[in-house]
Amino acid sequence: MSMPNVSGMAHDTPALAVEGLRKRHGSGPGAVDALVGIDLAFARGTFTAIMGPSGSGKSTFLACVAGLDRPTAGRILLDGVDVTDWDETARTRMRRDRIGFVFQDFSLIPYLTAAENVALPARLAGRRLPPETVREALARVGLADRADHLPSALSGGQQQRVAIARALVTQPAVLLADEPTGALDSATAREVLGMLRAAVDDLGQTTVMVTHDPVAASYADTVVFLVDGRVAGQMAKPNADAVAAQLAHLDQLVGVAK
Amino acid sequence: MIAVALRSLRHRPTAVIATFVAVFLGTALMASFATLVESAFDAHDDDREIMMIIGGVVGGWGTLIVLFAVASTVGIVAEQRGRETALLRTLGATPRQARALIVIEAAVVALVAAAGGALVASLGGAVLFDALQRATIVTRATDYDGGPASVVTTAAVVVLVSTVAAVIGSRRATRGPAGLALRAAEVPVRRLRWWRVVAGIVLVASGLASAIVTITVTGKSTNPYAAMETSGSAAVVAGVGLATLAPWFLRLFATPVGPLLRRFGAGYLAAENLTRRPHVLAGMLGPVIVLVSTAVGTLVMVAVDARTRAAFGDPEGVGDMITMLNCVLVGVISLFAAIMVINSAVAVVAHRRSELDRIWRVGATRAQLGASIALEAGVIAAIGIVIGLLGSTATAVPYSIARHEGVVPNGQLWLPPLVAALALVLTVGAAWGAYRGTTGGIRRREGWGRELQPAP
Repeated sequence: MSMPNVSGMAHDTPALAVEGLRKRHGSGPGAVDALVGIDLAFARGTFTAIMGPSGSGKSTFLACVAGLDRPTAGRILLDGVDVTDWDETARTRMRRDRIGFVFQDFSLIPYLTAAENVALPARLAGRRLPPETVREALARVGLADRADHLPSALSGGQQQRVAIARALVTQPAVLLADEPTGALDSATAREVLGMLRAAVDDLGQTTVMVTHDPVAASYADTVVFLVDGRVAGQMAKPNADAVAAQLAHLDQLVGVAK
Repeated sequence: MIAVALRSLRHRPTAVIATFVAVFLGTALMASFATLVESAFDAHDDDREIMMIIGGVVGGWGTLIVLFAVASTVGIVAEQRGRETALLRTLGATPRQARALIVIEAAVVALVAAAGGALVASLGGAVLFDALQRATIVTRATDYDGGPASVVTTAAVVVLVSTVAAVIGSRRATRGPAGLALRAAEVPVRRLRWWRVVAGIVLVASGLASAIVTITVTGKSTNPYAAMETSGSAAVVAGVGLATLAPWFLRLFATPVGPLLRRFGAGYLAAENLTRRPHVLAGMLGPVIVLVSTAVGTLVMVAVDARTRAAFGDPEGVGDMITMLNCVLVGVISLFAAIMVINSAVAVVAHRRSELDRIWRVGATRAQLGASIALEAGVIAAIGIVIGLLGSTATAVPYSIARHEGVVPNGQLWLPPLVAALALVLTVGAAWGAYRGTTGGIRRREGWGRELQPAP
């Protein structure tokens, strides 16, 4: 997939934008509307947290943006390019080359070492990353000495750091994180969040993170709240207490909008 | 635990079907031939020997293969429960309870399947006897006398073997502390157990011994079929022995193949999987070895016999019947080896569903995933064919020498490539079918790979 040259593009093109994004699961009377028209733009180098009560459409949103799921209506623009109607193979290539994804379950391949996991997306694209690139990526997450370990020999926090290294190594247009700290204890979670924050500050990495944890959200520049598949507000420079209060308020709104 | 076991069974139709098919067909076949042996005790003197030979030889060698098939299927299924048993143990099940779950499940399925197989055999035994009488192999002086004794004994043996295999598999699934088991459930790296190495070496050695005896002793006998008695089983025994060492062969051969595959994405996945998880994929390799070894060995022997029968004479006029018996034996063994290949392919691939899903999320296209599965199966088939052909020489070469054709038989040399091609198609086809079956259900709706995320 050839992408337009970044330098030739207006700098204010958002790294990621969605317009009128809708997703309906199933059909007929049993159909569930997970997303009912979402318009959002994520500027380059920003860190956005997406929050909302269970069933608000957070994970569906992320799956649609990553090309894991196909939206029912609306557009998805990656670096200004409309990728909505790309076929499965093109979307997979996009995910491999242009998107970094960090999952709650780490999604490491059990029989590959940390270094091999980091190099896997490039391998699948038919490229070999220079060993020093992989080493630097692991060093950035503090795991230079764990390069040859299998995931089973790493702690949960270490595994997630490997996953972050894997997501960042291809310098993606956008880093997507789905509850990246959901399976970690709070001390390890802070470590992982600090690394995501550092990627934004040091590398200018555009990052979008879905989370239900107000503390995790406080690491972001902006919090977007979703309720019943709609955007129900935003908060700039969030702190954990304000986010928690807003969430408690939103919980009471669930279902009212319908 | 029994209630949990039964509930768990309903959630694992693939595993249940694999065990059920192996036990059902195995009992049906073995017990049918067992009734011949039972009938032989009261048979007319003219018939007793031939009935013992048919029941004993076909039934006996068939039994070895059937038990191997049942044990390997039950073993694979039990071992794959590693993650589930680890989960149960973190919830408070003792290792003993977790093992009981696996063993009870296997025993229940085996019992039901063996009962069904015994039912078929009680009819099948009579049909087989009738066919032998029609072919005038058995005279009218003898009556069919197969009863519950032989059928029930056979069924009991099959159930016992299944249960023992489940006990062994369950021990592997519950080794180590619970927390570690849950984390390590994905990659149970493990060496070949010593008893398996010993069993494999003993079997290969006895196959070799038969080959040597054939060349040095029975091949020089005046009885034209003495050589067949010693060499006929050599390829079966050697094949099963080599299959027992399958994980070792996979490691040995997959490593040099690796660099060739690693040049592209799908090949990289296949190569890593082959070299890092030989114990998982060896379940597919073993049956291929047995299939190729026995089919090639026996068929070449039959071909040599047909060419040289005139020269060596057939004073008792049993040549045609022996050929038929050999073909039945090849049929039985091929059928079970094929079942084993399919069973293990389905078990191995279905077990990797979440892993394939993970690789897809990281950026492998579906075409790449499919290609990597097919490549793995292709490499496994190729290794199995090489090792299997090696095993087949235990029968083919000595018999060919005994019949004065030399180390290489004089004709029908298209047999080995034909069997090899069939084995390749079977292995790759089974893996591909299992892959399609694993992903097909999800493929129909969008968003394959979302099963790990909470439902919307």
